[in-house]
Amino acid sequence: MDNIIVSDLTKKFVKKGKRKLLRREKEDILAVDHISVKVKKGELFGLLGPNGAGKTTLVKCLATLLIPDEGTATIDGHDIITDPISVRKILGITTGGERTLYWKLSARDNLKYFASLYGLSSKDAEERIDYLLDIMDLKEKQHQRLEKYSTGMRQKVSIARAILHDPKILLLDEPTLGLDPSFSMFLRSFIKNDLNKKEGKTILLTTHYMDEADQLCDRIAFVDRGKLIVVDTSKNLKRNVSKNEALEIKCIGNIDKLENFNAHIKNKKNYTKIRILHENTEDIMDDVLKDVKERAKILSVNVTRPTLEDVFVHLTGSKLEDEHE
Amino acid sequence: MNSFYNLSIISAEIKKCLKILLCYPMELVFWCIFPIFWAVPFIFQGNALVGGMESEAFSDLTGTTQFMPYILIGAVLNTYVLSALYGMSNSLREESYWGTLELILGSPCSKIPILLGKALNEAVTSTLFAVMQIFICIIIFGLDVAVNQILPIMLIVILLMLGLYGLSIALAGITIQIKQSHSLIHTIEYLFYLFSPVRYPVNINPWIRMVSLVIPLTYALTVVRGIMLLDKSLINLWQNVVILLAIDIGLIVLGYYIFFYIEKRARKSGIISMY
Amino acid sequence: MEIRHYLRAMNAENIKEWKIELTYRVDFIRGLFEPLIFVLPFILYGIAIVGGKYSENLEKLTGTGDLITYTVIGYIFMGFLETAVWGMGFALRKEQWYGTLEQVFAAPVPRWVYVMGMALHSTIHQGLIILMQSVIIYFIFGLVLDISGILPSLLIIGIMMISLYGLGILLSSLVLIFKEGWIISEILYSFIIIVTPIAYPLAVLPSILQKISMYMPTTYGITTIRHFLIGEVSTFTVFDAVLRLLVIGAAWVIFGLFIFNIIDKRVRNKGELGTY
Repeated sequence: MDNIIVSDLTKKFVKKGKRKLLRREKEDILAVDHISVKVKKGELFGLLGPNGAGKTTLVKCLATLLIPDEGTATIDGHDIITDPISVRKILGITTGGERTLYWKLSARDNLKYFASLYGLSSKDAEERIDYLLDIMDLKEKQHQRLEKYSTGMRQKVSIARAILHDPKILLLDEPTLGLDPSFSMFLRSFIKNDLNKKEGKTILLTTHYMDEADQLCDRIAFVDRGKLIVVDTSKNLKRNVSKNEALEIKCIGNIDKLENFNAHIKNKKNYTKIRILHENTEDIMDDVLKDVKERAKILSVNVTRPTLEDVFVHLTGSKLEDEHE
Repeated sequence: MNSFYNLSIISAEIKKCLKILLCYPMELVFWCIFPIFWAVPFIFQGNALVGGMESEAFSDLTGTTQFMPYILIGAVLNTYVLSALYGMSNSLREESYWGTLELILGSPCSKIPILLGKALNEAVTSTLFAVMQIFICIIIFGLDVAVNQILPIMLIVILLMLGLYGLSIALAGITIQIKQSHSLIHTIEYLFYLFSPVRYPVNINPWIRMVSLVIPLTYALTVVRGIMLLDKSLINLWQNVVILLAIDIGLIVLGYYIFFYIEKRARKSGIISMY
Repeated sequence: MEIRHYLRAMNAENIKEWKIELTYRVDFIRGLFEPLIFVLPFILYGIAIVGGKYSENLEKLTGTGDLITYTVIGYIFMGFLETAVWGMGFALRKEQWYGTLEQVFAAPVPRWVYVMGMALHSTIHQGLIILMQSVIIYFIFGLVLDISGILPSLLIIGIMMISLYGLGILLSSLVLIFKEGWIISEILYSFIIIVTPIAYPLAVLPSILQKISMYMPTTYGITTIRHFLIGEVSTFTVFDAVLRLLVIGAAWVIFGLFIFNIIDKRVRNKGELGTY
């Protein structure tokens, strides 16, 4: 039984370029490029990709906030184009962005307002809000204005807002972006254990944190430049490169490229990280180290099993930025 | 060297402000037209009340029977007030919204050329608005402007601007301190609008007249209307000019001290980064 | 069932807006007095022009010569235009600014419901402001009104509001796609103010403006209210005024919703919703 069926969904944006004499140059950007995917009932499904990959656009199309140019999708049998009101009734969403709630209102007032928009009677709303504030541990501060909340607490209110009307299906767009580790941990466990396992909600989650997808999701879709690259479980995806080992070198120095190896290089604040996938890293170890040593100071050398990120880089050639440290 | 450096800051500031302004072309057109538009109901009202375009009763209070040019002159000069009050402190408020205010205040240059740049930019644009408005008045309403009146009027406009920019520098400082300065700015706008002869002669009520004496716009309006409508010369009106000059000096000194006092305090308390 | 849901959503919008507005106390109090500041110059100027409070020419044109009462009633009731132009016009832009527009739009309520919620809020707010001013002006200038005219006046306001809501719905969508939406609102606002007989009867307007004025709901609204309260004589009957108000109202609402839906589609097609 599939809860979300996306078929051939495409969304273009027109980017205005420089103004020429009479006309403005226009350029089409394919934010979502003919994506088809199915999410099963009760599944926690992850959309993984770097910033600008088109994850958010896809989520906004599903939430009926954007009208796709081609293709369509159904949410629990309701078409997102022809029947948006029914779709909105069974969907709960959180969108990214710093301000998504009324900062001048308290947590309780925010929730009360949205409860009315979702058609909850005031008695039901009060009970539900009490329950949600309780599990989110926000009871004490429920009457304080959100401007006095921390980012993590606001995100808790956002999630509470999304599940106010107890939706069957949740779309969570980067739910842990910019949060403290402790808040991220709480939210991840809440999403996985409470919402998904206990309440059986179907959840589509976007993230660019590899470990988040790895930890939470039943299945993961890699998205890059608007295209769906692959859909599978984390385990199977890793098996894809499992005959390989990963050689990881941390060093200080400026290295952009290693000529003779297919290396994935990340320049971090304090060091540079080089990762090379190879069937037998011992074979290449000496050559690589020699090459690196000439240009940089080596801090550490490790051989590990491939991670999801290695799979992503292997499949797409793109990097994921802002890795969770 | 130093003065050259300061001049380059002024010109950089003006260029930046103009570029930002040019992102809003509709706004430019708006300010060329609408201050006149807002005054139009007064002209129709006058016509409805006296059944013509001249009023003897009006002349008892103002010296002229012609209420239409009286109203139009008020509208044009009031543009300078609006632009000084909203333009400059808005400009700082926007900078704080964009997060650039902190960078500016934290830069090594003196803040005076930056404020001067903003003020000069304001002066240039509002004069552009005023000139366009006067053209509209001449074409649509047949306003008379003699060539020999232009120079003394410009002098008065400059004096008016000096005082207004002193005031807006003070307001700019206050904007750094309190986030919701627009309430204060609105209040000042209303005081200017209600208690100076923008729309009606203030001598109609002794209380209003008393309050109007501390508002620089009152003197500027008196002199410009005297020149344009009563055929007086600057020499006839010298007292008004002297008082206007005195108010200017007062406001500039006040503005300077308030701004730098608050800027220093803000750097100590770190209030700027709290936006 | 759906209707009850929508009505509750409108009321929630109204209450939410009050809560946010009351957190800016200074602005709220200033807002109560602000319109007075724009009325007073008209009164003082009028007195300066005729040299008193009574204008023969005004009496000749309208049947009432008391310029203060005439002007004040006109201006006070024009306050409801603010509801359409600023209150409703900026309903969605405001949500954009709060950052909550997408959250609100993802809820299962048609979009115009928010705008009407804002209309509800703004009408109540404006009613409060108008009441406040009436009391102040009554004490300063001592107006003489026909008390029996109050009820029919309220009825006329109710009918006039239909058109203004149509205008508000139209503006709320235009403001969403134009960066300088306030200018569109300001132009419409200033123009309607000029062609509505607020401080002067239509007779003094150039004939082209007089013709345009006959399509403005405010023309019939203000004139009829003044007819009930101080006996203004006009060129049309009360029955005519009501009829035309209803026709204009229907036309503006239909046009407003039509444009609103086009723009809503366009915004969702182009993805301009979150960008501001």
